[in-house]
Amino acid sequence: MNNYITAYYSDEEDLLKGLKQIISKGLKVNDVLTPFPVHGLDKVIGLRRSRLTRVAFAGGAIGALVGFLFQAWVFTNAYPINFGGKPFFAVPSFIPVTFEIAVLFAAFAMVFGFLIHNKLGPGSKNIIHDERVTDDRFLIVLDIKGEANDKIKSIETILSDAGAQGITIKE
Amino acid sequence: MYVSPIREPLIRGAKNYSQVTKDILAPMAGTPSKYWYMGITLAGAAALFGAWATFMTVYYGIGTWGLNKTVGWGWGITNFVWWVGIGHAGTFISAILLLFRQKWRTSINRSAEAMTLIAIACAGFFPLIHMGRLLLGFFIFPYPNTRALWVNFNSPLLWDVFAISTYFLVSLIFWYVGLIPDIGTVRDKAKTKIRKAIYGFLSFGWTGSAKHWSRHETVSLILAGLAAPLVLSVHTIVSFDFATSVIPGWHTTIFPPYFVSGAVFSGFAMVLTLLIVARKALNLEEYITINHIESMNKVIIVTGSIVGIAYITEFFMAWYSGVEYEQYAFMNRAFGPYAWAYWIMMTCNVITPQLFWFKKIRTSLVATFIISIFVNIGMWFERFVIVVTSLHRDYLPSSWTMYKPTIVEVGLYVGTIGLFFTLFLIFIRVFPVIAIAEVKSVLKSSGDNKINAHHE
Amino acid sequence: MENKTFTLTKKTIAVFVVMIAIGLIALAFGFLSDINGKRIAANLLLNSYYFLSMGLIGLFFVTVHTIAESGWHTSVQRIGEAMSAFIPVGGILLLILFISGGLHQLYEWTDKDHLDELLLKKAAYLNEPFFYLRFAIFFIVWSALAYYVRRTSIALDKLGDVKYLNKLRMLSAIFIVFYAVSSVVSSWDWLMSIDAHWFSTLYGWYVFISMLASGIALFILILFVLKKMGYMGHVNHEHVHDLGKYLFGFSIFWAYLWFSQYMLIWYANIPEETVYFYERHKYFENIFYVNLVLNFAVPFLLLMARNTKRMFTVLVPVAVIVFVGHWVDLYQLIMPGVVGGENSAIGFLEIGLTIGYLGLFMIVVFWALSKAPLVPKNHPYYKESAEYHTHY
Repeated sequence: MNNYITAYYSDEEDLLKGLKQIISKGLKVNDVLTPFPVHGLDKVIGLRRSRLTRVAFAGGAIGALVGFLFQAWVFTNAYPINFGGKPFFAVPSFIPVTFEIAVLFAAFAMVFGFLIHNKLGPGSKNIIHDERVTDDRFLIVLDIKGEANDKIKSIETILSDAGAQGITIKE
Repeated sequence: MYVSPIREPLIRGAKNYSQVTKDILAPMAGTPSKYWYMGITLAGAAALFGAWATFMTVYYGIGTWGLNKTVGWGWGITNFVWWVGIGHAGTFISAILLLFRQKWRTSINRSAEAMTLIAIACAGFFPLIHMGRLLLGFFIFPYPNTRALWVNFNSPLLWDVFAISTYFLVSLIFWYVGLIPDIGTVRDKAKTKIRKAIYGFLSFGWTGSAKHWSRHETVSLILAGLAAPLVLSVHTIVSFDFATSVIPGWHTTIFPPYFVSGAVFSGFAMVLTLLIVARKALNLEEYITINHIESMNKVIIVTGSIVGIAYITEFFMAWYSGVEYEQYAFMNRAFGPYAWAYWIMMTCNVITPQLFWFKKIRTSLVATFIISIFVNIGMWFERFVIVVTSLHRDYLPSSWTMYKPTIVEVGLYVGTIGLFFTLFLIFIRVFPVIAIAEVKSVLKSSGDNKINAHHE
Repeated sequence: MENKTFTLTKKTIAVFVVMIAIGLIALAFGFLSDINGKRIAANLLLNSYYFLSMGLIGLFFVTVHTIAESGWHTSVQRIGEAMSAFIPVGGILLLILFISGGLHQLYEWTDKDHLDELLLKKAAYLNEPFFYLRFAIFFIVWSALAYYVRRTSIALDKLGDVKYLNKLRMLSAIFIVFYAVSSVVSSWDWLMSIDAHWFSTLYGWYVFISMLASGIALFILILFVLKKMGYMGHVNHEHVHDLGKYLFGFSIFWAYLWFSQYMLIWYANIPEETVYFYERHKYFENIFYVNLVLNFAVPFLLLMARNTKRMFTVLVPVAVIVFVGHWVDLYQLIMPGVVGGENSAIGFLEIGLTIGYLGLFMIVVFWALSKAPLVPKNHPYYKESAEYHTHY
């Protein structure tokens, strides 16, 4: 059973040109694997701007609240002690720790969000299509599950017309 | 992206992508050179000296240090602040320079961040060891305990606990998120099965998918945005350790930004010291070029001058304030028994970096290396001067005294330096020292073979 | 076709002349009514200092980007250069204020016969000849550098020779070094010495960052006005985004320095130092908090998202707020020391005079803008700026 077709380019400018051509022919590109972030690629394949920033904001806001309220609770409620004549509710004193906790929460929320969203993590079993993707190849992946043979042939033609190399059908 | 033709290229030698991978992975392959073994032996010996000093401190107690009734803070906090300061360059380079879109950071950020993490670990050792009982270190964290006690949130020393731990953790994840794609490269280039398995595990299953890259860039940017104020906050809070007190020479409002600037100053000096050797030893001269060195030297001029202005401001304000204690503290610094330390500090921190105004000097490797060592020394003395000269002659002249470190304190300091170099030498064998993917992403616009006519 | 040269129309001039007239009326009103002379002097100092600083920040913007080898700023650098044209005007206004008796209204240390012990100790620094000497040095060097930077920048655009870029870098480096010292010392002289007994080592940097945040806000506003008038078509969202990032970042940095100074004085709790904030807490409590809201909370919360930094619809109101906010910041630096809690107020004098100064500032800036093409198209880095787009 054939599952998908892969082809590669060895230069990001050829990749972008080729991709535009392939997409204009009505093919759906499942994924593009590149050795580094290619400028302009997200526009070509229609990726939305990541919304992970909101996760970071939420993490930071929760962190700031937790940090501040906890300190306020300790000093006004749980164990009020007079330190050097400072008020129990000593707002300036609480700011450094509040800030640190906010940053900590925001950063961790964001990174964990990133890993979970991308299904990346220790022991993750993602398929490595081509070992040279992390070196110098720009690989495109197209889904051909359940497609007829002549359709696959036409896809191959479109790909090679668009300058793609090493067209391989994989299971 | 269009880059003006009058700009110097950042990467020399007309590389293509595959060459970049090969060159940067080269230091990790094969068996280490004999210089590497020599280095790690030397560093390991120093670390062992530190281990002995640690044993002495824990076994006999803090009495093995040269502290006395008047000078209650000595080398311990001096070394702590020095290491924290050095730990500022990595995140400064990767976060603040990212925000300012400085492309030259791509060749140096990885190793600088690794250096940051190691330096923070060395710094964190001093507050722990000064407790004398390492096992009770967890007392400094707020946790529900049988005494129903909480930590003192009014204390700058406690803020330090939060600042240093947060800084370490955030720097760690920032560094690791940046490393993931490069670990993928190491995995795919690995020759043995076991190497492949280990790096495969560490790479978190990185595939290089466009979606992942897009999110990766967002995460890097936001982490940079978070890390930038974090860098500032860390040394600010370290400066609060001193400046919230009422001790002349410590209590001054300029301390927060001036400490931050000094930290970046010393951190860049340490990065230069390491990289000037590393680029040669690891054959990375085409990636860490003289332009990178020059750019770092410019940061040294700026931060060094800010530090210089702060010294002069402090001195002037001590006079202007009309407070006799403040005035005495500064006269004592400059002309008292520790004047030698003060003038070493002034020479190394204020005068030597000004030599970088000359293009000849800031583009000379030898001169840069020497000056970077001077700055490292100067910044250590800065902390020593601040800590000791303000304490040794306090408000009560009958308590005036001098402070001398013991061999145990020297051992702890030398030990952390040994630890630092040991870990750094291990790092260059384990992970790529340059961010491979990031260098590739600037290769077209800033490589030797950049094509200026082309743009989208 | 894109409008590349700015023409100052009669209508625009008329608007600014009306603004200046309002300022003069407010000043006349101040003298004629029973408003305390100190309050008038304090307002003149406030506005002269504020707009002089705006000019300096304009020059700072151009020079700091030049020595940092930046490329993107070339699209908007003419605005910075034009702002710097106000430096000599602001300096002269400040000088007139000082020599026409304002000096004695503003600074208690000028009263030589009634100095207390502490001020006698400081007399070696705080005395009139030395004060004027420092003033003269700052004024001459700032004005000269503003003139030469502008001239070199225009020569660079006309001839496109890299030689001029190198000269511009040299002048920029000189200005940055000189300004690093002079911005601090001038803020001690003109602002901190109002409260002559009090001192704070951070003061100079605090004032500088306050002026920087505000200068960027004004920069954005001038850009917005020019765009509304149909100019600056070559400036795209990315350039606006960068200016927005500056406004966001410097506002946070301002809050950081505000906090550092306040925290250390609050924590150490030494009466000689806390008296400064005690006064401001007691008589200017609203201003004290308004200052933080306008200059930190508003830009921080509203500019956090990416889109708001790129859209004039949010950025311009925030810039107005920050610009007003740092005026308030200067107000709370100056008024408690000169006028005191009982006699201070924000009335027609304050508002009218500020409008007048703004009119004068704008007329100078627009006059300077009309003297050179808005697009420095022969700057070696201009093409980078024109084709500038980025992910972030």
